[in-house]
Amino acid sequence: MKLKEIDRTAMQAWSPAQNHPIYLATGTSAQQLDATFSTSASLEIFELDLSDPSLDMKSCATFSSSHRYHKLIWGPHKMDSKGNVSGVLIAGGENGNIILYDPSKIIAGDKEVVIAQNDKHTGPVRALDVNIFQTNLVASGANESEIYIWDLNNFATPMTPGAKTQPPEDISCIAWNRQVQHILASASPSGRATVWDLRKNEPIIKVSDHSNRMHCSGLAWHPDVATQMVLASEDDRLPVIQMWDLRFASSPLRVLENHARGILAIAWSMADPELLLSCGKDAKILCSNPNTGEVLYELPTNTQWCFDIQWCPRNPAVLSAASFDGRISVYSIMGGSADGLRQKQVDKLSSSFGNLDPFGTGQPLPPLQIPQQTAQHNIVLPLKKPPKWIRRPVGASFSFGGKLVTFENVRVQAQQGAEQQQQQHHVFISQVVTEKEFLSRSDQLQQVVQSQGFVSYCQKKIDASQTEFEKNVWSFLKVNFEDDSRGKYLELLGYRKEDLGKKIALALNKVDGPDVCIKEGKQESEFLPSAGGTFNISISGDIDGLITQALLTGNFESAVDLCLHDNRMADAIILAIAGGQELLAQTQKKYFAKSQSKITRLITAVVMKNWKEIVESCDLKNWREALAAVLTYAKPDEFSALCDLLGTRLESEGDSLLQTQACLCYICAGNVEKLVACWTKAQDGSSPLSLQDLIEKVVILRKAVQLTQAMDTNTVGVLLAEKMSQYANLLAAQGSIAAALAFLPENTNQPNIVQLRDRLCRAQGQPVPGQESPKIPYERQQLPKGRPGPMAGHSQMPRVPAQQYYPHGENPPPPGFIMHGNVNPNAATAQLPTSPGHMHTQVPPYPQPQRSQNGWNDPPALNRVPKKKKMPENFMPPVPITSPIMNPLGDPQSQMLPQQPSAPVPLSSQASFPQPHLAGGQTFHGIQQPLGQPGMPPSFSKPNIEGAPGAPIGNTIQHVQSLPTEKITKKPIPDEHLILKTTFEDLIQRCLSSATDPQTKRKLDDASKRLEFLYDKLREQTLSPTIISGLHNIARSIESRNYSEGLTIHTHIVSTSNFSETSAFMPVLKVVLTQANKLGV
Amino acid sequence: MIHDAQMDYYGTRLATCSSDRSVKIFDVRNGGQILIADLRGHEGPVWQVAWAHPMYGNILASCSYDRKVIIWKEENGTWEKTHEHTGHDSSVNSVCWAPHDYGLILACGSSDGAISLLTYTGEGQWEVKKINNAHTIGCNAVSWAPAVVPGSLIDQPSGQKPNYIKKFASGGCDNLIKLWKEEEDGQWKEEQKLEAHSDWVRDVAWAPSIGLPTSTIASCSQDGRVFIWTCDDTSGNTWSPKLLHKFNDVVWHVSWSITANILAVSGGDNKVTLWKESVDGQWVCISDVNKGQGSVSASITEGQQNEQ
Repeated sequence: MKLKEIDRTAMQAWSPAQNHPIYLATGTSAQQLDATFSTSASLEIFELDLSDPSLDMKSCATFSSSHRYHKLIWGPHKMDSKGNVSGVLIAGGENGNIILYDPSKIIAGDKEVVIAQNDKHTGPVRALDVNIFQTNLVASGANESEIYIWDLNNFATPMTPGAKTQPPEDISCIAWNRQVQHILASASPSGRATVWDLRKNEPIIKVSDHSNRMHCSGLAWHPDVATQMVLASEDDRLPVIQMWDLRFASSPLRVLENHARGILAIAWSMADPELLLSCGKDAKILCSNPNTGEVLYELPTNTQWCFDIQWCPRNPAVLSAASFDGRISVYSIMGGSADGLRQKQVDKLSSSFGNLDPFGTGQPLPPLQIPQQTAQHNIVLPLKKPPKWIRRPVGASFSFGGKLVTFENVRVQAQQGAEQQQQQHHVFISQVVTEKEFLSRSDQLQQVVQSQGFVSYCQKKIDASQTEFEKNVWSFLKVNFEDDSRGKYLELLGYRKEDLGKKIALALNKVDGPDVCIKEGKQESEFLPSAGGTFNISISGDIDGLITQALLTGNFESAVDLCLHDNRMADAIILAIAGGQELLAQTQKKYFAKSQSKITRLITAVVMKNWKEIVESCDLKNWREALAAVLTYAKPDEFSALCDLLGTRLESEGDSLLQTQACLCYICAGNVEKLVACWTKAQDGSSPLSLQDLIEKVVILRKAVQLTQAMDTNTVGVLLAEKMSQYANLLAAQGSIAAALAFLPENTNQPNIVQLRDRLCRAQGQPVPGQESPKIPYERQQLPKGRPGPMAGHSQMPRVPAQQYYPHGENPPPPGFIMHGNVNPNAATAQLPTSPGHMHTQVPPYPQPQRSQNGWNDPPALNRVPKKKKMPENFMPPVPITSPIMNPLGDPQSQMLPQQPSAPVPLSSQASFPQPHLAGGQTFHGIQQPLGQPGMPPSFSKPNIEGAPGAPIGNTIQHVQSLPTEKITKKPIPDEHLILKTTFEDLIQRCLSSATDPQTKRKLDDASKRLEFLYDKLREQTLSPTIISGLHNIARSIESRNYSEGLTIHTHIVSTSNFSETSAFMPVLKVVLTQANKLGV
Repeated sequence: MIHDAQMDYYGTRLATCSSDRSVKIFDVRNGGQILIADLRGHEGPVWQVAWAHPMYGNILASCSYDRKVIIWKEENGTWEKTHEHTGHDSSVNSVCWAPHDYGLILACGSSDGAISLLTYTGEGQWEVKKINNAHTIGCNAVSWAPAVVPGSLIDQPSGQKPNYIKKFASGGCDNLIKLWKEEEDGQWKEEQKLEAHSDWVRDVAWAPSIGLPTSTIASCSQDGRVFIWTCDDTSGNTWSPKLLHKFNDVVWHVSWSITANILAVSGGDNKVTLWKESVDGQWVCISDVNKGQGSVSASITEGQQNEQ
């Protein structure tokens, strides 16, 4: 594929491999005149910018030269490793001159670009080559068998490789050996090649096939094999490339006869020794494998001959060719389409003609259109064999569980020599372990959990704590495992009961003591006289008088109000006590409203038991005091909530110190989820060890909560789930798959955890153990083998994948959301025998859309059911009596379910989880209805929605049993029969609302469900017309409230129709009609 | 000559591909090695293999010098070709499955400079989108960005379709790394050009998301350099490179660990090194992998192979 074009008739030289960016230098060719017959000459430098899709090369510099060139090379001499100095351009001129240019100066636009010049040669200098081992050494060849070796550091005096060959002839090619630095080869049009040893300073071998037809136009050494070289012949009678091995120099090793006419130039790829370019007078550019003779590639060219061809040293897929039609083209041998070329042609034509009106016809030309057939031609196939440089020899990829897969292709030298190489192909799987401390700490934690040695673990952590805060946290955690945890919490907050007692005693003795005594004395002195003296009851108009009057009339309320108004607090309280509880409470409230002292609010809270107020409004600097108060006074049922509240306030405070203290509150509250949130906010949790820090606390707290508050800690919130799976992921990444599994919360539906669990189980190399999750938690997508046609499960194809799969952390419910029970429909179905046909349509936990807050896979939040309540709650009301034929779905899977009415539902729905967890407060209520369940047939939600208020909604069990494993989209009931459903359901509703006894209600409720069979049959349109018309008649009679007529029609239908067709719903319809008749609705 | 070896999602199966045109699948559970399948269908050296997420079944994609991409599927224990993509004009060098959240989408990078995206549309049909001239004279690597919804995950209102922005990175012979983004109309647009390498970009690897807002890409090149590119801003437009190391030889491959904290770098000197970012943000070589060493190790030996 052609990449770039330059319209020049010129010799070309690529910048050395070290150089970036890639430049191409062109020097006006001495041999070929272009169409203008211009004698001016120039040296130009272009940049190869492959990110520019156009065919133009970016011109960087032009230097007007007084010379025209026979040969141009670009050596890396004096380039440093950074490539700042861009080497030396060495040009062979017409009159025995060699000129050294500084390309960086040319690019910079300097006038003095010539480094040195020497015209020691005779005639045109056609051959030049740089020694790749000593880049300061340049060999040149000219007429009269002249060969010079130039040292660029000492350019004035060249050396010779030895005595001139006789007879004198032109040197057309010269090349340094690619393996041995002191070996040089030269060739001449006469067909002879000479190999020189510079150490011996003489020719060591002459290579010739004695045909006298070889007319050497090209010479190249094998890039890898020191003794091999190729010679190309320009002679049309012998258009061959000969491959010689100097060890067998009597005849060519191989002759490549791929060109029809003489070869003008060759170039051997340094990047891949199996690629040799040649261009000839047959206007072909071929790429062949000189080691086999096979042609690998023919470049698409025009009909022009190319006289020079060069591989780009830096970009091995790129080559340039200079052709006699005055153009240098840059190609890629990797194939590809040549859209760019076409575009350039279009552009050229367009710019010449424009779309205007070049001929003055008054009509603009239509836009140029490129014939379609060129497009097909422009697809250029790549090399027949892949070049060496795209063959990746080594690689390493991580996979799950911290395994690293590496492969290498080591060449093992075999005895037979270089060509017979054996390759060892190995793939290694290694375990990468980088976090040793993390692993050992995780191991410790696991042991603690197993051995239950929490107290000593916490103590160890306290002892090892680096910071006060860390110490506090562990102390708080430790308290959870000790008796009188609240008292100990108080101690930790600095409120030791004994200390306080001492302090108070001290204070009373020293300061308050005398004061109190005085007061008491006063009181006595006041009381005594009043008791003994005259008792004046004033009823004057002042306050005293009014109070008196109120008291006398028994109006305590007014009296208290008056006292309060007069700020006689003590009087008011005393009076209020007399006035009864209610008045006392009111008075207290009023007092507190009026009183403003600092301590009042605390007193308020103590008296009113309103701790929420304290926690909500205390100054956060006093969080310790607030927490202490809560610890002392709060009732068990509100304790956690209050701690939570305080924690939340602390957390939302800007002060980062206070934020971290919130953790302590959460520990008191036993709120794992919030602890995680707060901790994550305060600490940088990205490193394994800090995650370990968090998980240690979380695990301990969870255990504590399990022990003390008897709550089910197996339910896991979103954030904790995220952290736990992060932790498990880390463990897994270190190869500790079993440990990762152990730390993953077991009883959860969090998608990320379920996924990880599945992945870990399978990674262990075993089918998922036990009943945990017998199926992978993904929706298995059906991918048929190329053949079209309807397949099962296509409705779930990834066309709308986002609705089916939610990644971790998506759509979390509001925190604190309480959900009773934790029903996983898939867990329920998972243990059922499932036929393979259901595999693909199973609704798994993985892609479950969450449309409802009540969805089964919402993370269940705290479920604080005290231990004692567990047992009774766990017993379920008996399942409504249903007979097998009543299964509304007719789903084979549902029918496999045990139909015993008394089947304990929790068992069937939860059996995939370990039993002990079931006892952990899982309660079942009717609200389990998974509204978000896409496969939920509408019939299931019906009873709930349409059931009469107060009617027992007993379908929870029904629903659990028949949770579909398939997504079933029910057909709608045909419009014309919809009236049946609405009429019957309406009737049941009416009956339900007027029925009084629960038995009737249950009957009706049951009937409502059983009628689903009828609706299903209507959907499927399987009922015979006579039955349908009969049903419509019944409906009509219901509408006219003539139920006895309805019953008559009913009897008629039953007697005339097939029993099996009607048995599912007709009896129940009769029940409804009878009831309606009885109730007279 | 083996050119790629990849484990499946669970790390229990190993797929290899080779110059001998074969794709092989081994069961490597419990340290064993059982050849499950020897898949034939390519007519040239096979460069890369990629496992699809198991939610779509057991699916493997392979790409080859024969200009084809083949998608293989296991059906009832038998591996068979399920699709063949022939839309490229030159060697297909890299295949990479999109995050499974998007559906079954495969990105393929080719020496013809184009990148094609195959999307499974059901009914055995694959829709092809092609980005022409993605990298002049060749795309060497493609790597998808992890599925992350812009903005916080927590803020996503429940029940709504997550608003994913699909992105991937590619590296090519134009020394560039390019980032591509799917526009709302479903067209792929070049979003960014990352320039730092001075020679062919041999591989790019977008790091898995670990819940941080930072995006990270590793790239390696013919020039021996490995760069770590990071982008902190939410718009995803400012990427800054950090030189991990300059090796003396071509670096062929970079691979992130699942937890995105370790980078495995494979060089032309047949060396594999592991790198980790230290606390101060410097990349440190933590190990030269001694192949086959470790607590879990298995070695799969393929005998002398027929070089193509």
